[in-house]
Amino acid sequence: MMKQAIIPALLLAVGVLIPLLIGENPYITGILITVLMMATLASAWNILGGYAGQYSFGHAAYFGAGAYTTMIILSVSDTNPLVAMAAGVVVAGLIALVTGAIVFRLRGHYFGLASIAVAEIVRLVVLNLEFTGGAQGILLTDVKFYGLDLNSKNPFYYGMLIALVLTLGITALVRRSRTGYYLQAIREDQDAAASLGINLAYHKNKALLISASLTSVVGSLYAVYIRFIDTHAVLDLRLSIEIILTAIIGGVGTLWGPLFGAMLLVPLAEILRSNVLGEALVTHGMVPESSPVGMFLKEHLAHAHVLVYGIITVLCILYLPKGILGLFRRSGK
Amino acid sequence: MIKHLLNVNHVNKYFGGNVAISDVCFSVEEKQIFGLIGPNGAGKTTMFNCLTGYYPVSSGDIVFDGKKINNRRPDEVCRLGMARTWQRVKPLGSLSVLDNVMVGAFAVTRSLHTAEKMAREQIHVVGLDDYAAQLAGSLPIGLKKKLELARVLATKPKMLLLDEICGGLNHTETWAILDIIRSIRNSGTTIVFIEHDMKAVTSICDRIVVLNAGEKLAEGTPAEITSNRDVIEAYLGGGHHA
Repeated sequence: MMKQAIIPALLLAVGVLIPLLIGENPYITGILITVLMMATLASAWNILGGYAGQYSFGHAAYFGAGAYTTMIILSVSDTNPLVAMAAGVVVAGLIALVTGAIVFRLRGHYFGLASIAVAEIVRLVVLNLEFTGGAQGILLTDVKFYGLDLNSKNPFYYGMLIALVLTLGITALVRRSRTGYYLQAIREDQDAAASLGINLAYHKNKALLISASLTSVVGSLYAVYIRFIDTHAVLDLRLSIEIILTAIIGGVGTLWGPLFGAMLLVPLAEILRSNVLGEALVTHGMVPESSPVGMFLKEHLAHAHVLVYGIITVLCILYLPKGILGLFRRSGK
Repeated sequence: MIKHLLNVNHVNKYFGGNVAISDVCFSVEEKQIFGLIGPNGAGKTTMFNCLTGYYPVSSGDIVFDGKKINNRRPDEVCRLGMARTWQRVKPLGSLSVLDNVMVGAFAVTRSLHTAEKMAREQIHVVGLDDYAAQLAGSLPIGLKKKLELARVLATKPKMLLLDEICGGLNHTETWAILDIIRSIRNSGTTIVFIEHDMKAVTSICDRIVVLNAGEKLAEGTPAEITSNRDVIEAYLGGGHHA
């Protein structure tokens, strides 16, 4: 047990120290916050998708539930953001229970499709209601939290770090419990699982509820961090898919895989988007700026990040079905 | 006094207009090894699926250990003490043999420690000790069948339904499994046994029911069954059933 704790402890220490080392650098801190956020979201998704094998394509619904509930409460009252966050968890939990009651009657691909449908329903409802701000979204001008300077990004960095530690901690606990064994049994073979006394619906709902609650916490944090949300930012299908890709590329059904995936994908997306790669090649004289290749890099590489993302995903699915983490662990859990 | 652990009363099962099981009755006594035999399509596995909650019965009653269990969910049936294996084995492929059996043991305990202890006991009973750490999906078929047995035994069933547990096994493996089944019965578990291998069935069963085309064709001791004209006809063909 001691040995197993060393690496997580080191990672945590690095996580805690990074903002102190890099000082006040909003750009880098912003990227790190996104890494932590995607790692937490993918880890939360992983409890349901990776361990129980129920691939939800609608996790944006729970993220959005946390974000919207928090923003609506904070924009009309001086509530403590933590209370607003808890309210978000309740709303996300309710959506999860209703979703579970409907979609867990379905298996396999049908479950995936139904989860998209539920998330789209949530998105359209929010888009068409008055008190959610409709298509305009919600803007939060001021928020207070125990005297912290919320114009700095550091409080949000640590907030996301706590969310990640919480999510990984819960995953580790679940994994070494009866529930963890039951979820994996459900993933492997539902009929066999039922014949061994496992109540399928109950355990799937349990996994969904845990997963949805953690996702909603991240949604609340994100909303207060950005202070502006609309359905495009927090309820989009694109978000659900990014969560899944992060988990798949990192390693589905492993404790550390989603964190790995986020550490790889978020900086990669940022590098491509900001065209660091193209500029570096040009400034180091590898490629003349006026050459056709140089022109191409300058003009188009920044737009190609989605393409690169897609290619990595396809390669991962073809050659690394257990994700990047699967490279290092050939066997075992 | 003889106690009937399982009573099947006038059970019918239709799939649309097709009759899969027609008015079948039988009773299984405690600590019996009870054989359910019949040609392909006779309704044996359908009967197991009805007994264990995978199919709802169309009519009739199934009473297990004094409780009516028709149309209970499979996991409820398991927790009442009736557990089954599968004709086509269903290992939890990417989990180890030990983890597979622990999933079974969790039906009776919440503790990880106790579950592991119970699982190791059952793994020892079927002789899979050397394979405990292997992934279940990587085992050959003979060992997968033993794993099914260990896993289902770990749920501590009162009654065990074995669906062609010897199917696909060679002669030696078959007799090894039959020995295990006898010892399971001797430790107090009732067994209902679907099997094609007549030699295996007659050597081990106390009582046999023969199904044919969804109906009960005969019931009796192995000696009575092997000399029954209807049974011979159903198995060897010819006559009005073909």
